[in-house]
Amino acid sequence: MDCIQTIKFDITGQICPSTLLIALREINRNIDDLSSGRLRLLITTDNRDCTNTIPEAAGNMGLKATVEKIDSSYNILVSKE
Amino acid sequence: MQLFFKFVCFTVFESVITVINSNSPKRTTMATRPLMLLSGTLLGLAAGFIMHRSDFCLAGMFRDLFLFKGVFRLRILLLLIISSMLLFEMARLAGLLRNYPFPLFGSPSLAAPFGGMIFGIGMVLAGGCVVGSLYKTGSGSVASLVAVIGIIVGSALFAEFFPWWIKINGAATFFSGKITLAEALGVPPFVPIAVATAIALPWLITVYRKGYLERPVYTEGSLQPWIAALLLALIGLISVITIGMPLGITTSYAKAAAVTEAVICPTHYAGLAFFKTVPLKYTEPLSGTELKGGPGKELDAIALIQYPLIFGIVIGSAFSAILLREFKIRWKLPLRQYLSVAAGGILMGLASRISAGCNVWHLLGGLPIISMQSVLFLAGLFPGAWLGSRILTRYIIR
Repeated sequence: MDCIQTIKFDITGQICPSTLLIALREINRNIDDLSSGRLRLLITTDNRDCTNTIPEAAGNMGLKATVEKIDSSYNILVSKE
Repeated sequence: MQLFFKFVCFTVFESVITVINSNSPKRTTMATRPLMLLSGTLLGLAAGFIMHRSDFCLAGMFRDLFLFKGVFRLRILLLLIISSMLLFEMARLAGLLRNYPFPLFGSPSLAAPFGGMIFGIGMVLAGGCVVGSLYKTGSGSVASLVAVIGIIVGSALFAEFFPWWIKINGAATFFSGKITLAEALGVPPFVPIAVATAIALPWLITVYRKGYLERPVYTEGSLQPWIAALLLALIGLISVITIGMPLGITTSYAKAAAVTEAVICPTHYAGLAFFKTVPLKYTEPLSGTELKGGPGKELDAIALIQYPLIFGIVIGSAFSAILLREFKIRWKLPLRQYLSVAAGGILMGLASRISAGCNVWHLLGGLPIISMQSVLFLAGLFPGAWLGSRILTRYIIR
């Protein structure tokens, strides 16, 4: 458990719906590593709407997402349940 | 911020003077204008604030249906339309609507679904509609500012096509002289509205009870979209009562184009027939004065009605973002996306003039009175948003 990898994406400033599209693409691409707990995705966005849509999409795929506000953006961490 | 505060103080002061002076008939006509300015500014501020807090993105509502099969926000839109329908009709029955159907709505034309489709493509490419781009600009998005400039460019382009368009539109118009469905059917306005609400209301109550109108909240200071929808319906009601028409802003984009062209190329500007049209002629409800306005560069009724609203939406949203410490000028994004928002803006500018109004005008102003033009615009919006979503995922965000 001590070697969990985290991939970071900074999507601040990009147009809607970049954040959700990129998050979905990366979740799909890494679904095996995400489900086994080897990998986490950290998405930084200023798009308030995505703090709803990404956790919902992650939940549909059996993953968990937590949202945390850092300065003027939101960090969304997608990981195993 | 300070300047804005001074402006608000000034308008409040002016309107107090107006109320005091309202006994003398000579002053009322001129002096009620500050009241209109105040009403427009406050409505804009409230709308900008509410939209920012609830992510009230009308473009997203249609786009997400095709991209993610999400219908949550379309439900919210339906709630907004139905509640506006009920509020507007109650106001009409109470005799509060002096201009009904609202000014600037025309007879149905095939130009409306065509414009709706172009608009649908544009709003998806721009990542926000004409109002969405404003509130996103207010929260610091440079991309949305580019979209706003695109809308102005699109409106300028329309002026070039105008003589040709007016012939096509004339030929494509049917039910000439009739604006609402009720007029076309020859029945009182409440009949089709009663039918529409009788169908939609029980369904809305059911989805509300099931909790389908709520969503989990993760952001700071977030407002549930269904509450936002009811508040926006109320803002629409105040607008139709005090200003005499629903929220609309796109003619001002054409005005911005006119002002710019008149400076850069005055001879060319003078030859453009579009900027000489005066489509708005109506009785202002607060003073009973006849007001006129159009897309030309003059500071007319269009400017009086729409400028405060635009200003209010941007500032209201900025204010909301600043309060949450989320305001930040964000400009770093791929060139591809800049091109997309510019193209989207231009398409929206063109489409708003082709169909005589933007999505906010038609969906929140026209659909509540069942304007046939607005129904046709909506019919075009869906395939447009679908096409826009395809272009977006294939070429822009990869």
